[in-house]
Amino acid sequence: MSEASGSWFESDPLWFKRAVFYEIHTRGFFDSDDDGSGDLRGIQEKLDYLQWLGIDCIWLLPMYASPLRDGGYDVADFYRVHQDYGTVEDFRNLVDAAHRRGIRVIADFVMNHTSSDHPWFQESRTNPDGPKGDWYVWSDTDDRWTEARIIFLDTEPSNWTWDPVRGQYYWHRFFSHQPDLNFDNPEVQEAMLQALRFWLDLGIDGFRLDAVPYLYERDGTNGENLPETHEFLKRVRAEVDAAYPDTVLLAEANQWPEDVVDYFGDGDECHMAFHFPVMPRMFMALRREDATPIYEILRQTPHIPENCQWGLFLRNHDELTLEMVTDEERDYMYSEYAKDPRMKLNLGIRRRLAPLLDNGRPEIELLTAIMFSLRGSPVLYYGDEIGMGDNVYLGDRDGVRTPMQWTGDRNGGFSRADFAQLYLPPLMDPVYGYQAVNVEAQLRTPSSLLRWLRRFVELRKQHPVFGLGSYEALITSNPRVFAHIRRYEDDTVLCVHNMARSAQAVELDLQWFDGMTPVEMFGRTPFPKIGTLPYLLTLAPRGFFWFQLREGEDG
Amino acid sequence: MNEQEIQQGDLAALGEEELTAFVESRRWFGSKAQDVAGVRVLDSAVLRTQPPLLVAALAEVRFGAGTHELYQLLLGVRPDGDEPDAEVVSEVDGAVVYEGLSDPALARELVHLMRGETTVQAGEGTIEFRSVDAGAFPGEIPAPRPVGVEQSNSSVVYGDDLILKAYRRVEPGINPELELLRFLTDISFPHIAPLVGWYAYSGPLIDATLGVLQDFLPDSRDGWELALEEIASDPDGFLTRLRRLGEVTGELHSALASDSSDPDFAPEEPSAEALALLTATVDEEIEQVFLDLPETDALEPILGRGEEVRERLRLISHAGAVGRVVRTHGDYHLGQVLWTGEDWVVLDFEGEPARPLAERRNKRSPLRDVAGMLRSFAYVASAAELTQGTAVPDDWEERARAEFLEGYWDLVDRTIVPHGEDGRAKLLTVFELEKAVYELRYELNNRPDWVGIPVAGIVRLLEADV
Repeated sequence: MSEASGSWFESDPLWFKRAVFYEIHTRGFFDSDDDGSGDLRGIQEKLDYLQWLGIDCIWLLPMYASPLRDGGYDVADFYRVHQDYGTVEDFRNLVDAAHRRGIRVIADFVMNHTSSDHPWFQESRTNPDGPKGDWYVWSDTDDRWTEARIIFLDTEPSNWTWDPVRGQYYWHRFFSHQPDLNFDNPEVQEAMLQALRFWLDLGIDGFRLDAVPYLYERDGTNGENLPETHEFLKRVRAEVDAAYPDTVLLAEANQWPEDVVDYFGDGDECHMAFHFPVMPRMFMALRREDATPIYEILRQTPHIPENCQWGLFLRNHDELTLEMVTDEERDYMYSEYAKDPRMKLNLGIRRRLAPLLDNGRPEIELLTAIMFSLRGSPVLYYGDEIGMGDNVYLGDRDGVRTPMQWTGDRNGGFSRADFAQLYLPPLMDPVYGYQAVNVEAQLRTPSSLLRWLRRFVELRKQHPVFGLGSYEALITSNPRVFAHIRRYEDDTVLCVHNMARSAQAVELDLQWFDGMTPVEMFGRTPFPKIGTLPYLLTLAPRGFFWFQLREGEDG
Repeated sequence: MNEQEIQQGDLAALGEEELTAFVESRRWFGSKAQDVAGVRVLDSAVLRTQPPLLVAALAEVRFGAGTHELYQLLLGVRPDGDEPDAEVVSEVDGAVVYEGLSDPALARELVHLMRGETTVQAGEGTIEFRSVDAGAFPGEIPAPRPVGVEQSNSSVVYGDDLILKAYRRVEPGINPELELLRFLTDISFPHIAPLVGWYAYSGPLIDATLGVLQDFLPDSRDGWELALEEIASDPDGFLTRLRRLGEVTGELHSALASDSSDPDFAPEEPSAEALALLTATVDEEIEQVFLDLPETDALEPILGRGEEVRERLRLISHAGAVGRVVRTHGDYHLGQVLWTGEDWVVLDFEGEPARPLAERRNKRSPLRDVAGMLRSFAYVASAAELTQGTAVPDDWEERARAEFLEGYWDLVDRTIVPHGEDGRAKLLTVFELEKAVYELRYELNNRPDWVGIPVAGIVRLLEADV
């Protein structure tokens, strides 16, 4: 009597616009087989938790076979799962189990480059005239394309590295162990599409396309955002649309919004792209107690096609990147948020959300509220929902990739392996350590950050306006206040946030909504009716209000 | 509007306003509190092509906030002048569109399609009718009659033989009822009405179960009705039946936990934070209910005691065990069991219709079902007093609980429940509290006269020894 169960979702090509994403570092989430490293089965065991939290989509950092010299972004085989994480079968099971709970799964996919361990590269370097001789970007000299900036400033002196085996230089925009693929070769393009199809056939719901701006190289350019790159991405999109409906392509393009919008094409390229510049400005606005930086960056944010969406985040697995700010702003951010020089990495700050905000609960809530209120889909980073800390003494970005803290038990409930076997030590300091900060304790504490966040996610799901609605900035009498209106169908929401560490009063010009009643969305409390005079609100330090504006009700 | 189209079963000609009014007035329409912006048919299939026509449709109900729900419509279409004895949706140019399940010929058609294992093409997808054993159907399908009015589905009984349940609210994925009935029918579990057939939609829009057909058990008594009657006539005799119900419930859970090779049914170890997760969920529900509790006399005993209830929850769930998690009934109470004259049979495996399907499919501790049944004893004792003035002995509920639990512990697979009496009692209390809070919310919205029952349940849990 058994038959294919079919899909566990109602068709919805725009699901990603209403979704809350949750980013997982597989190695750090949960260790199901006691070997000290998190794995795909471990994630599957924690799906009840994720379903409870209410997230719609898991985003997995790269889980492919890799020497892990760059957190798995150095892929050595696109068709295998890293042995520490499990097997392709485990992946299929995870996707299936997640789908059964109404949760989708996307994963990182790296198109720009491979690991130097990839057999393609080994073949290319040893057999220049062979079938893969032209799959990477080789040159006799290291003086081409000098306009292209070096991204990993702290480790790489050049984008070219000499390969003694082939006797030529090869091009790499990232680490020297990550040679760039040659997308001018149609076979490379086809190989990439084939790898994408492999995972789509396993049921994956989409990809975060890592480092997409850099696929091609052209003389006289900085090698970023080239027309050829967009052309190839459009081809990927067309393939996906034709055979895999309700799939999402999320571009990682750490660029200014006016360049990023090109990755949406005319709604025929990527579905989503991260809004990088808004993030540092939220932190800046908080420290300056001035909403101007947020208003400004949103004003500069161009419109995007209806079927596209911004990805919004406060923190992720990388450093808090400061590429998209001015030098002056960067100095300010360093002085305010990276007082210890160890906290800096490349052009950014390698810290988690809670420590960046001095573990201030009102500050964490305020920035989360702003992120959830903006046009876009929020992306949460594992551990930030409980306010996990970081470890600046660990190298590179490992400090923000420590084990998830599930319980106050040994190894934070992450693994039953010996402590010495763990891929990284869990945090054990008195403030952020697993005995103080863990999922179990916060589940049991009604006022915890975790419980608060879950209510937030729930509210967002009840109101598609946050994912789909329009955004109208409200310029207020008080520059310390960030206020705006979101509208979708019959739902109108007013969001007011106080950036200051002191209580503030603000007058809002709401005469358009004359006669309507603001109802506070969490406590369902009606506020006084809106009239034609400026609407006065008082806000607690770092406080915020979200109101649904309802027709006619009495306050 | 095109006369031809509607007479051929094309619902595109149906007016949105008429459709909206029809859906909003149905008992099975679950979101009455929400503001409906409109209803439209997304896909439909003509299941019977000779007049009167039978059309199955997936209708999308849109709400003001921009959310939506899908519902299954089963509509009859007859030429004008041939008035049906059924609720009319619309009269358009020469045709009457009406509630199809109220028309015997059309209700019967659904069974014919299952017996024939027919696949019907809809506009975008297909509707597949399937049977467990096509040879097992009666030669002639007896005359149908609609039964009962339910919150989320419509049922039709065919003579003494079969009962069809059509799910009105359509959600993606297999309905847990079909899944559980299929599993239990496969292993010949004796305490169910075996599955006979089902039908489902699949297409680009959604894959979803639309209905199930089961054996009808003609002379059996609904557990709730039987309890009301026997509480008055033979309260002690009924306690014996409850002991047996406990045994049957134990057998049901053991059966649901019996196949460790099927990932959908294999019992699982709960994760380290499972109990905390459960506590958080229940706590959240308590908080929501107490947030805007009206100040009425019936609620007086618990008014302002939300924090106390939550404190109690923390206390009982502080340390404890969950046992293993398995597939469960999901909405277990006296109204979901039948006394056949010889033994108990369990019905309605859909789970709580108000919860999303993905949640209803989750594996849980079987004690959640047990708690549901225990709450039902409190309900039936109060209902006997409220509705028929029966003087129920003070200790009846306590004794009912004891009998039921004794039967249950005797036959349930011990590996799926927590070890030790203390752990089991605590977990049961958590689930009873969850249930009582759910009841409180339900009664506040639907039957304010009944709120006293969950209120008494909550007070009891507040005052019990920990």
